[in-house]
Amino acid sequence: MPTDDTALLRRMADGDEQALAAFYDRWNSLVHAVVLRILRQRDDVEDVVEETFWQAWRQANRYLAARGSVQTWLLTIARSRALDRVRSVKRLREDPLEGESGEALVQQVGEGDASTDAESTERRVIVLAALSELPAEQREALELGYYNGLSQSEIAERTGQPLGTIKTRMRLAMQKLKGRLQILREDAR
Amino acid sequence: MNTAGMSHEQALQALEALALDALDAEERVAVLAHVAGCAICQQEMLALQATASQLAYGVKPVPMSSAQRDRIRTRLIGRAAADRVHPPELNPSANSVILVPHPEKAARVSRHWLESPASWLAMAASLVAAVSLATLYQVTKERDDIRRAYQYTSAQTSRADSLRRALEDRDRLIANITGPQVTVVTLASGGIRAPSARMFWDQSVNAWTFVAHNLPAPRTGRIYQLWLVTAKDKINAGIFSPDAKGDAVVRATYNLPKDALAAVAVTDEPSAGSAQPTTTPIIVGINSTR
Repeated sequence: MPTDDTALLRRMADGDEQALAAFYDRWNSLVHAVVLRILRQRDDVEDVVEETFWQAWRQANRYLAARGSVQTWLLTIARSRALDRVRSVKRLREDPLEGESGEALVQQVGEGDASTDAESTERRVIVLAALSELPAEQREALELGYYNGLSQSEIAERTGQPLGTIKTRMRLAMQKLKGRLQILREDAR
Repeated sequence: MNTAGMSHEQALQALEALALDALDAEERVAVLAHVAGCAICQQEMLALQATASQLAYGVKPVPMSSAQRDRIRTRLIGRAAADRVHPPELNPSANSVILVPHPEKAARVSRHWLESPASWLAMAASLVAAVSLATLYQVTKERDDIRRAYQYTSAQTSRADSLRRALEDRDRLIANITGPQVTVVTLASGGIRAPSARMFWDQSVNAWTFVAHNLPAPRTGRIYQLWLVTAKDKINAGIFSPDAKGDAVVRATYNLPKDALAAVAVTDEPSAGSAQPTTTPIIVGINSTR
């Protein structure tokens, strides 16, 4: 319900803490999952989740719908805060992929939180299906960039592949995903 | 990588990595500089950023415990309630900002400014500091006025609460500009009207208080942007507009290592602000305490 999200942000910008509570209730599961995926350890997760929503509260008046959905905005904050924390403690993990095959990715659907709403589950099915269609090396480049916060040069160094190869893999992966996930972007508007 | 004069095709091919924040710093700056002036790339960038954010749904859901979820919720609401009544600023145009180390907004970057920070540091060093010390007097006077108002209205609970918060805020402000760990950077310009400013950095609580005078009104569609300058970065410290008298106050909280601040600068930017400075500073001051 993107309209509701925008309305909640407006109320947050006006100083309505109940709007923050509603916003938190709506998005905390997703933010927690992303933060945990990036941090890999639970020690700092609670702190980073809180700081993500706190930043959303303090910067609610900066949200511009023309620049993307509320979800994009919030997850960008969550990812940035989590990567900041990872970098600050210099404990970026070496293994990015958990050895997941495409089939394993798809099978993850349904293992999740019983409280996850139908909308999130449907999104998850679509995203995992799109990811599963990527060649493993493209998915690896994508995940090292998104979840581990590595630059293309760092990914090249990590994987032992030429920089140009990494750029191509990342580019192809994102273009494929862009096409497959267009329906989700339209829903989020 | 030589990124000078990046072509549209080169920039377009780097947008996927930009959306994932996977570009090296130099290339990122060059791509952002192109995107800021290219509607095609801006459109593509938005789509790719949205795509990248969808990756979050691919993460295996791991629910928080109800205790953890409630704990965070309670803390957030408590912090928000304390923050809800934003304390009045020193003037109507003042801003209270949280700094964003990695701004999302693309911007055209002045290569001269990016590549030659020493040039404007030298410019700052050559300018005469000219800031009114009346700032502290003014703040102290306001604090006393608020204290008197608070005492007078103490029976009116709601009003008193608001004034109490304002009083606490003024106390914090005074501490932030007079405390033992405060670094003061004076900014000046060579203009005829001579805008001037001071940045008070209270390192004990990472509080920044910027006070400026004689700033001309920004042009239509433009705004001033404050920057904390380190050897490697220019950190966005918020956008602001002066009041009718040319005065402005910007307050922020940001953790910067003790010796990292090289200078403070103000540039003229588009109304939404920029990710990096796009113009030569109208006022700048070096940190002479390093």
